[in-house]
Amino acid sequence: MRKNKFLTFYACLVFGFLFLPLAIIAVTAFNTAPTISFPISGFTLKWFANVFATKSFLSGFQLSFMLAIVATLIALLVGVPAAYALSRNSVKGKKLLKSFFLSPTIIPGIVVGYSLYQFIVLKMKLPVMQGLLIGHFLVVLPYVIRVVGSALEQFDFSIEEMAWTLGCGKVKAFFKVVLPNISSGIVAAFMLAFINSFNNIPVSMFLSGPGVRTLPTALMNYIEYFYDPTVSAVSVLLMAATIVIMFVVEKTLGIGALTK
Amino acid sequence: MSKVTLNDINVSYDGKTQILKGLNLEIGEGELVSLLGPSGCGKTTTLRVIAGFIIPSSGQLLVDTEEMTKVPVHKRNFGLVFQSYALFPHLSVYENVAFGLKLRKMDKNEMDRKIKEILEVCDLTEYAQRFPKQLSGGQRQRVALARALVIEPRLLLLDEPLSNLDAKLRLNMRVEIKRLQKKLGITTVFVTHDQEECFSISDKVAVMNGGVIEQFGTPEEIYSRPKTEFVARFIGFENFIKLRRKAAQTYVAEDGSVFAVEKDGGQEECLGTIRPDDIQIVSSNDTGSNTILAKVEVRTYLGKSYQYELSTPIGRLVVNDGSGNLVNAGETMRIMLPSTKIVLV
Amino acid sequence: MKKQSTILLIAPITILLVVVLILPLLAVLLPTVWEGGAVTLSRYLSFFQDPYYIKIFVRTLRIALICTLVCMILGIPTAYFISRVSKKWRGILMSIALFPMLTNSVIRAFAWINILGKNGIVNQILTALHVVDQPLSMLYTEFSVLIGTIYLFLPLMIITLVGVMENIDNDMMEAAESLGASRLLSFVKVILPMSIPGIITGSVLVFTGAMTAYTTPQLLGGPKNMLLSTLIYQRAMTLNDWTGASVVALVMIVTTLIVMKGLNFVADRLDKRGEN
Repeated sequence: MRKNKFLTFYACLVFGFLFLPLAIIAVTAFNTAPTISFPISGFTLKWFANVFATKSFLSGFQLSFMLAIVATLIALLVGVPAAYALSRNSVKGKKLLKSFFLSPTIIPGIVVGYSLYQFIVLKMKLPVMQGLLIGHFLVVLPYVIRVVGSALEQFDFSIEEMAWTLGCGKVKAFFKVVLPNISSGIVAAFMLAFINSFNNIPVSMFLSGPGVRTLPTALMNYIEYFYDPTVSAVSVLLMAATIVIMFVVEKTLGIGALTK
Repeated sequence: MSKVTLNDINVSYDGKTQILKGLNLEIGEGELVSLLGPSGCGKTTTLRVIAGFIIPSSGQLLVDTEEMTKVPVHKRNFGLVFQSYALFPHLSVYENVAFGLKLRKMDKNEMDRKIKEILEVCDLTEYAQRFPKQLSGGQRQRVALARALVIEPRLLLLDEPLSNLDAKLRLNMRVEIKRLQKKLGITTVFVTHDQEECFSISDKVAVMNGGVIEQFGTPEEIYSRPKTEFVARFIGFENFIKLRRKAAQTYVAEDGSVFAVEKDGGQEECLGTIRPDDIQIVSSNDTGSNTILAKVEVRTYLGKSYQYELSTPIGRLVVNDGSGNLVNAGETMRIMLPSTKIVLV
Repeated sequence: MKKQSTILLIAPITILLVVVLILPLLAVLLPTVWEGGAVTLSRYLSFFQDPYYIKIFVRTLRIALICTLVCMILGIPTAYFISRVSKKWRGILMSIALFPMLTNSVIRAFAWINILGKNGIVNQILTALHVVDQPLSMLYTEFSVLIGTIYLFLPLMIITLVGVMENIDNDMMEAAESLGASRLLSFVKVILPMSIPGIITGSVLVFTGAMTAYTTPQLLGGPKNMLLSTLIYQRAMTLNDWTGASVVALVMIVTTLIVMKGLNFVADRLDKRGEN
């Protein structure tokens, strides 16, 4: 491409805007000063030590991690069969069903959280964990339907029919032929679902209970009372984890798998 | 009408790979010149230099006597037709054609008249309100042509404009382009890798290879008298014989067979080349000049003729024979290489 | 496939969604339009008559709208830039754009607290340069909410636009230039109209996202700059005003739906490429 200096400059500014705030946090995490300040006065790892000494962060991480995995697995369990049924044949009202399955995206997260709190926590009096799990299931389901659905659209179903003619039963054919061929879609769906569940705030905010907080809500809570670089240190750890995930996705599926 | 001169044009990619190496070309007023060559030979790059998408690292582009090397694309006023047609999908046929005129701040009525005129010429009047998506390949091609011609360009540049059409349409469009070009008298550069298309449409042909022009001449010249081995191979000479000069118009092959060659270039060591169609099968007792004995290895049916792959004392030769007298594999035949048809490269 | 097996495959998800999404929503929203055995809109009428609520409603719309416009202005040229660089660079730039999107929104808001706060970087620079004597109060203003929201959704706009723009052939730009349009004009007359579907999709995502985001206004806005989302939380969790919260929730849903449908309608009208 013939280069355009103005466009390149403009794009650099925008990337600076996207990148610098997070870079600043990363720097402050290693600063000795108790408040966030520039230039940094000295190098320290004590804020990282502080992270591992803060119980709410550790238990929050554990909860968020478990929640993201279990909610995503449940979503895959009910979402993949549905996506398969929808793409396999002309179900009546296919479009309507698909938009119904995607409907949690249309309802704002804050409303989902609020209505679940009212109905599940206050009316049905379900334990906190069940409530959180249901909420996060709703958060991740659309990613599963969308990404697995688009993987199935790419899939050539004559391959599956070929397996049937070779004497493979339908259930067996699904596991032996269809599933391996959409596995990258399922992995991408899992990644996206996991990340979005892990990062969710509005749903978790309503459904957290005494002593049961996800990491983001614990962080949010912490910020309201303390203003020190411990949050920066947590951020650095989470960003490092994100980079690792992105790197793995890039090497296996290509980064494009996360932008669909 | 304009004439175009390319003077010692150099283009490199990343400052390393040379794509054009000191290319020189002169295109006369109103001529249709084709750039012919295999992919990667630099023909499209040459066209893009003329169009202004590539600024050469050195060299000059002159149109008439005006230096154009660094003039921005949009100020050149050259009409361009892309292989993909590049019609604007969000604009109707009429709006596509109007695009260039609108930028020239022309009187509305004048503009409308010109557009209708060119649509008429290109046989598109009834499609004026359609969108590119609703047109067939041939119609799209004509819109692309109309869009390029309506701005009354100084040059018309065509980048493999026919390669996305089916064979029959391609033939029609070829005639159509030639007709329009002659009617408007517009100097035209046509890039193609299809030699038949190229020969039928061009006033002159530049055969390119490895970033230089190997030969520049009329289609007849190139067809009958290729100057280099590359050009010969590219335009269908399949038989090559190593020759050494013995006397004027007399050459000897490596096995000692003597060949009379009418057009003697004076080279001491060279290749003699001849098309499969030009070699004649003669009766087995004919031992006249330029004849040799050959053994049939493979016979292939081509439809209007048979092709024989022969092994001979001067190497493997390919002969096309339309006489219908079949010779089987393993048998021998006598062939004659007419002295008028042997070209030295 | 047989009908029975289809039903068997989509039954679990349908039942689950009805039980954990539709039922709770109905349980929350129905009482707001139902009083004494009759349908009533009185609660919504009083919502739109209360200056306090109107102010919050308008502020939410204003922030979402400005955020969408700024994301367009910043995102369109950037996305075009990304779509034109080599494949390798496109991957790298897309990763940089994607990274903030995968980072927790608390962290992203926290970054802006550090930048805009009383002791934040901007104030430190400004006082060091003696541009100001007193630190500026930029945090807990509508401005800080706006910046935080733009920061939140700009990557989404860029990524959506790249998806559309990378499919636009370079020939289009070159054809426009050969017809006499400068590069800027070619961009405006050809690339921009061709990107409209992407711009609309991106705008819908950014606008609805900005309208409903919770973390950013909560952390960067403070109680003075409440938006609909923070209002729901406050009504429900702080004031225990369930009906109030539910009214705001429905207002939010309906507004986002109207904007979504409206923009998609505009997109259909603008996209007149014609069908086959």
